[in-house]
Amino acid sequence: MFEARGLMVFYENMLALNNVSLSCGEGQIVGVFGANSAGKSTLMYTLAGIMLDIQKKEAMAGGERITIRGALSFLGRDVMQLKPAKRAEAGIVLCPERRRIFPESSVMENLRIGGYLAKPKEATETLDYVMTIFPALVKLENRLGGFLSGGEQQMLAIGRALMAQPRLLLLDEPLLGLSPAIQYWLAKSILDIRNQRGTSIIVAEQYARPIMPIIDYGYILENGSAVVEGTKEELLDNPDVKAAYFGTN
Amino acid sequence: MDILIYGIINSVSLALMALGFTLVYGISRLPNFAHGALYVTAGYICWQLLHRLGLPYPLAGLLALAIMALAGAAMYQLILVRVRGMAISEIIASYAIGLAILEGLRWGGLKGATVILPPFATGSVGILGVTVDLQRLLVVLLGALLVGGLWLFVNHTRLGLALKGMAQDERAALTLGIDSDRMAVVAMALGSAFAGAAALVLLPLGNIVVEAGYNVLIMAVAVCIVGGLGSWTGAIMAAFIIGFAQILTVVLLGPHYQVVVAILAIILTLIWRPSGLFGRQKELEERV
Repeated sequence: MFEARGLMVFYENMLALNNVSLSCGEGQIVGVFGANSAGKSTLMYTLAGIMLDIQKKEAMAGGERITIRGALSFLGRDVMQLKPAKRAEAGIVLCPERRRIFPESSVMENLRIGGYLAKPKEATETLDYVMTIFPALVKLENRLGGFLSGGEQQMLAIGRALMAQPRLLLLDEPLLGLSPAIQYWLAKSILDIRNQRGTSIIVAEQYARPIMPIIDYGYILENGSAVVEGTKEELLDNPDVKAAYFGTN
Repeated sequence: MDILIYGIINSVSLALMALGFTLVYGISRLPNFAHGALYVTAGYICWQLLHRLGLPYPLAGLLALAIMALAGAAMYQLILVRVRGMAISEIIASYAIGLAILEGLRWGGLKGATVILPPFATGSVGILGVTVDLQRLLVVLLGALLVGGLWLFVNHTRLGLALKGMAQDERAALTLGIDSDRMAVVAMALGSAFAGAAALVLLPLGNIVVEAGYNVLIMAVAVCIVGGLGSWTGAIMAAFIIGFAQILTVVLLGPHYQVVVAILAIILTLIWRPSGLFGRQKELEERV
């Protein structure tokens, strides 16, 4: 359904993504694991098309020269050159790193802005759905986004992304800064979203432990390259992965 | 009582002048220094439509607004889009456009007391013992109407909400399918139409002169800086503060201090509260 082949991203001469290929089937959850600066966010930005926007802005301001290479196909369509807004329209929606909640809008307004691409009927339906999977948001409806806790912000960010009617949801570090209990609860919510709505999901995370159980397939990113890939079982059996992500041998 | 009523009228006039500027800046962080020129152009176009084509006043007004909206959109699409993200270039480019328009109009013969838009309403009424002419009352009415309409638009329409999202976090808006360039065009069109609307109600109070363009720009910038750049509520509050301060100086010192008040307000704000009275974004960032 979604396939990336040979993605390369350079900041000037620094290689941020080195020949990364990955794919995600219909209704799959795919995990991308890696430490800080392994290239996870660059990868997610490239998949969502935000990289094109960053590239344009840098070029205009005379900043870093960014080069993007590779092929992306989504539902049989070449989306590599699609601008970010068009990619979201096609169904690839990114829930960005650090959430990027609209701080001066209420929770409800954040969700309504998220429903920009949705038809009125879809928006009402999705709003109900978001409130069922994240009931904590109901009470916070009128709270400003900037005054939410990390966990609440993450729920809102995922909810807002769902409002854009994704076929493929990209989650960039959804567990960042959350307590372990909430991390596991959120991982389960991600699984629920896939099971209940059939949304394909790619999740980039450095905390592999809570995410590993819910994925169908996973990649390990190191220094911009996908060094190991496999199903959940294959990754869990790999001694290097075990050592690096689970602290056991 | 004079001070109260004329203070309100003056404040609303300032708010009208600033609304378009703060709208564009708030949404796309684009300081549109051609704002004053757009204001004068709207009046001039309306006058041309009235006198050359002999259109009825309401039609000429609406047509002028539509032309302004198109002109604003075109200005963004053709010129400003090329310098996006470079603040200094944006200011220089938009100010250059403004200069070209204003001085072009002067060169084309816009001077003296010949170009006058007739007021929509003549006559006057007494309010609390103060005589106010109807056109000035209309200014207050239209000001309230525009602010109310804008509020409804940004809070209750899909496009308005998208603009609000874009104003707060461009990248987050992009991930939700909100196209930043398209929104900037919409913002410029709206902002220009607002400049035009302000011109159509305020200009009948005097002649259409080139200097009004520069004056309006200074007032708009003053209101936006005092209120906090990009904050709409801040701009309206600031319009009232500066508006009343101006009327007070008119009563107590004489009519020549209006611009001084505006510039003084800019300087004082920049010294004491550089993010403006309602620079809420910054405050939030500090707290989080």
